[in-house]
Amino acid sequence: MLSAFHPLPKLVVCLVWLAASIAMFDAGFQLAVIATVALLLIVAERRSPLLVIGLMIPFALFGFGFFTTSVLFRQDSDFALQMARETPLHGEAVSAGTVLFLRAIACGMVSAAFVLTTDPAGLLKALMANWRLPPRVAFALFSVMQLLPDLAREAQQVRLARAMKRGRLPRRLVGPVEMWSLVIPLLAFAIRRAGRAAIAMEAKGLRPSGRRTIVGAPQWRSGDAVRAGGALALLASLIALTL
Amino acid sequence: MAWASTVTSVLPRPEPAAEWRGVSVAYPHQRRPVLDAVDLALGRGERLLLLGPSGCGKSTLLATLTGLVPISVEASVEGDIMIDAVDVTTRGAADWASHVAFLFQDAEQTLCGMTVADEIGFALENRAAPEGEIRRAIDAAMSALDLPPGWRGRWTATLSGGERQLVAIAAAQAQAAPMLVADEPSANLAPEAAQRLRRVIRRHRGSVLLVDHRLDRLVDLVDRIVLLDRDGRLAAKGAPRDFFRTHASSLEANGVWRPLAARLDEELARNGVALAKPPLTLDELLRQLPDIPASRRATAHDILNRFAKAQTAPPQDNSGDVLVELQNAACAPLFGPVVLPDASVSVRAGELVAILGRNGAGKSTLAMTLAGLLRPRRGRRIGDPAGVSFQNPENQFTGGSVADELAQATASCPGAAPSCEELLAHWGLQGLERRHPFELSHGQKRRLALATLTAGDRWPWLVLDEPTAGLDFANTETLVGHIRALAAHGAAIVIVTHDVDFAFRVCHRAIVVDSGSIAFDGPMPALARDTDLLRRAGLEEPSIGPLLSWLELEPQC
Amino acid sequence: MTSRNWTLRELLIVAVLGAVFGVLYLAWVQVWLVAQAIFGAITMDVVMGFWFIVSIIAAAMVRKPGAALLSELLAAATQVLLGSPAGLLLLVTGLVQGAGAEAVFAATRWRNYSLPVLMLAGVGAAVASYAYTWIRFDYGALAPGLLVAMFVLRCASGALLGGLLGHSITEALYRTGVLNGLGIDRDKRLAPA
Repeated sequence: MLSAFHPLPKLVVCLVWLAASIAMFDAGFQLAVIATVALLLIVAERRSPLLVIGLMIPFALFGFGFFTTSVLFRQDSDFALQMARETPLHGEAVSAGTVLFLRAIACGMVSAAFVLTTDPAGLLKALMANWRLPPRVAFALFSVMQLLPDLAREAQQVRLARAMKRGRLPRRLVGPVEMWSLVIPLLAFAIRRAGRAAIAMEAKGLRPSGRRTIVGAPQWRSGDAVRAGGALALLASLIALTL
Repeated sequence: MAWASTVTSVLPRPEPAAEWRGVSVAYPHQRRPVLDAVDLALGRGERLLLLGPSGCGKSTLLATLTGLVPISVEASVEGDIMIDAVDVTTRGAADWASHVAFLFQDAEQTLCGMTVADEIGFALENRAAPEGEIRRAIDAAMSALDLPPGWRGRWTATLSGGERQLVAIAAAQAQAAPMLVADEPSANLAPEAAQRLRRVIRRHRGSVLLVDHRLDRLVDLVDRIVLLDRDGRLAAKGAPRDFFRTHASSLEANGVWRPLAARLDEELARNGVALAKPPLTLDELLRQLPDIPASRRATAHDILNRFAKAQTAPPQDNSGDVLVELQNAACAPLFGPVVLPDASVSVRAGELVAILGRNGAGKSTLAMTLAGLLRPRRGRRIGDPAGVSFQNPENQFTGGSVADELAQATASCPGAAPSCEELLAHWGLQGLERRHPFELSHGQKRRLALATLTAGDRWPWLVLDEPTAGLDFANTETLVGHIRALAAHGAAIVIVTHDVDFAFRVCHRAIVVDSGSIAFDGPMPALARDTDLLRRAGLEEPSIGPLLSWLELEPQC
Repeated sequence: MTSRNWTLRELLIVAVLGAVFGVLYLAWVQVWLVAQAIFGAITMDVVMGFWFIVSIIAAAMVRKPGAALLSELLAAATQVLLGSPAGLLLLVTGLVQGAGAEAVFAATRWRNYSLPVLMLAGVGAAVASYAYTWIRFDYGALAPGLLVAMFVLRCASGALLGGLLGHSITEALYRTGVLNGLGIDRDKRLAPA
C-alpha cells in the first residue's frame, strides 16, 4: 500500500506526521506513532517484524543520548537526590527524557517507512515533473547513486594496494584510521569521475533549462487521495485521543 | 524512422558533415599546443579512423567538435570548426546533441546512473521528444544490440563493465544523430560484444569518426584513415589499403598500432617480396602467397617464420624454484562469494604466466590470492608475497609527488637501492619528480607503479593486473621490454589480461579461468590451437593465429 | 572570469562531495555515540564541527554562492537515504548548518576563502546549529553553565574540525590536480605566488 502511494503526497504526509511528533510532547502519542508505523510496515508492506525492530535500534541509541542529557542536566533535576534516596524514578526530568527518547524513535520510524517504500528514481522523476526540480540537479543525484558502489569497489582496491605495500593482509573491516586515510584518494577519484560524467551528460543534450520529456514518472492515481486523507485522518484521531 | 527527421536531406550534399579548419588547441599552463593547425573534413556518410600516439590530441580533437572544448574543458581554441557548414560556437555543446552522438572513452564509467531503459532514452528525453517515440527508440536500440529485454528495468550499477559498455553503445544509437563519434569503443568489450559494435558501425547511416587501437577488427570497415603525430599535427591520410604501405615509416616513428598484416607486408617488401594488393588482414596476405615468384619463396617463408616467432613468447624451461603454490584453495574477493572453489596452481622463478578469461570469471581474484593479498577461504597458500600492479595504478600511490613515491619504494629495500635519478631515467619519467602522481598520463602512471614495485628487489615475483589497458603501441612495446628484462633477472611475472595478443607475445604459459575452475594450465601455443576452449572461455584467437596455422600446414620449401 | 551560473561539472562535484561526506558523517555519528557513552552528554558539541566540513570544502572548491548550503543539504539527504537515525529531520539540520556557513561566505561576497574565513564559516555553522538545537531540544530548561560550555565548545569545534580540517583536505585535493578549472584553481593561478 505504501509502495503504490505516489512519492510526493507521501513525502508531504510524512512531513506532517513528523511535525506532529515534534509538536506533541507526550509519551503516549509517540508510542502510538511507533506502533502505527510498525504495523503498517509489517502488515501492509509485508516486511519482516525482525527488520522493523532492527530499524528501531539505531534510533533508540540516538534517542538514548537525549534521555541521559535530560535526566542529568536539567536545571531543576533532582536526579542525584532521588538516586541518593533510592526512591523510584519519577518526576519531570525522567518523563521529559522519555518523551525525547520515544520521539527519536517515532521520527526515525516515519523516515524509515518513507525511505523503505520509495524508489529513488521514481521520487526524483516525480520531483522533476511536478515540483520543478531542475533536471541537472536530479541527474547529478542519479549520477552520484551510480558512483557510490563504484567508489566502494575502488576503496577495496586501494586497501589491497596499501596492504601489499605494508606487507600485511588487509583486515576485512575498515577501522576509523584507515577510513580517514582513504578520504583523499577516493575524493580525487570521485571528483574526476564527476567531471567526466558531466561532459558525457552534456554531450547527450542535458541543458540547464528548457522542456524535456520524463518517461516513467510516477502517475497520479485515485487511490492517492484516499491514502493521503486516511493517513491525515488517522493522525488527527491520534492527536485527539492524546489531548 | 525517428532519425530521418534530423537528417534534413536525403540527397547527398557537397559540404562535409564536419570540418576542422586550421584548428589549434592549447590547454592552460601547458607549454606546447596539443593540436597544431589541423585541417580535416569528414564527408557525409564517410567512416573515418583517427590514429595517433597517446597524448597526441585525438580525444581533444573529438571534444572540439561540439564545443566541449573549450566550454566544458578549459582550453584556448583557434581556427574554425563546422558541423553541416554551421560554426559550432553558435550553439552550446548540449544543443549539438541532435547532430552528434558521442561514445567517450570508458563510456561505461560515465553512465548517468539509472535503469537501462532510462539510460538509453536519456538523449531523446533531453530533446523533449514525445514519449511514444522514445519508447520505440529504446526498443530498437535494445534489439539492435541484442540486449535481453529483462535488462530494461535493471540499474546500470548492477551490470558488469562490458555490459555497461553495450548499454552506452545502445544509448548512442538511440540518440539518432547523423554523426557518430567513438573514442576507443571496443576497449572493454568481449569478443561477442565487439561483433555487435561492428554491426552498429556498419549499419550506421551517417558519418562515423572513430578512434581506436584494435585495428585488426575495425580496419576493414573504414573508408579513410588519418594520422595525428606527437605534436598534434595531421601527418598522413589515405584509404586503408594504401595508407599502411605508404606511411609505414610515419606510423612506426609515431609508435602507432598497425595491423599485423601491414607490418608483415612491410617486412616482406623490405626484403624484396612485393605483394600485389596491400593486405588488411593476415588471411588476405596468405592468399596472395602462391603468387610470389618461386625464386623469392624461400625468403618469404623465412620472413614469415621469423615474424611468427617474434610474436610468440619464447619457451621457458621449468627449472626454477617454486615461488608460490596454491593447494585446493577456495578463492574469493574480500566481501564476496567464492568464485573458484578448488584452485591448485604453482609458479616458478623466471616464468611468465598469463591468466586469461572472461570479465568476471575470477582472473583478478585468482591473481590476488596467488599474490597473497586475499586469504583463501579453504585450502592453503604457500610462498612469498608478490608485488602487485593494480588495474588503476593510482590505487597504489601514497606519496605526494613522484620523487616521494620512489623514495618510499627504495626506503623499504633490503640491500643497496638505486638512486631516484637512475629510476627516473630507466623508466622514462625524467622531469616529473615534483608532479603529483595523479597528474601523470596513464602510461606514465603505469611506469611509475612498476618502478616502485621493482626498485629494490623487495618482491621476488610480480602480479600485473591488466597492465596494457589504456596504453598505446609505443608504451606497450616499452612494457614488453621491461617485463622481459625482469624475467631474465629471475623474477616470475603473472599477468592478468584480456588482451590475448599481448599474452601470446609475452607469456609462454597460460592459465584460463572459466565457469568457476581452471580450464587450462599449460603452454600458450597449445591454448592458441584449442579453438573450442577459446570459444567456451570467451576468448578470441590471437591475431597471429592464421599465420601459425598456415606455417604448420605448409611444407618447408 | 567567473560566471554566477553553475556548470554541470560543479553541480556534480558538489553532489559527489555531499554523498561521500554523507557517508563519513554517518560513520562519525557512530564515533560520537561511543564517545558519548564514555564521556557524557557534552561530547556532541566537541565532535560537532566535523558535520560542517563539507560546506567548507564545497565552498572553497567551487567558490560560488550556494555551494555551502547545497552540499550540506545533499549530505543530509544521503544520510537519510542510508537510514540515518536522525531521519528526515536531518534535512532541516543540514539546511540550518549550511545556511550558517553560507552566511559567512555571503558576508565576504563569496570572494574570500582564506583560512580565517573558512574557520569563521565553521563558527557560523556552529552558531546556527546551536540556535536550531536550542529550539528543537528545549535547551532552555538546561543548566546555564552547561549551555555556555556547549556553545563555546561547539564554536571551537566548528572552527577546527570544520574550518581548519576542511582547509587542509581542500589543499591536499588541489595538489592532486583534480580541481583544475574550478573556482579554486582560477583564484590560485591569478593570485601572485
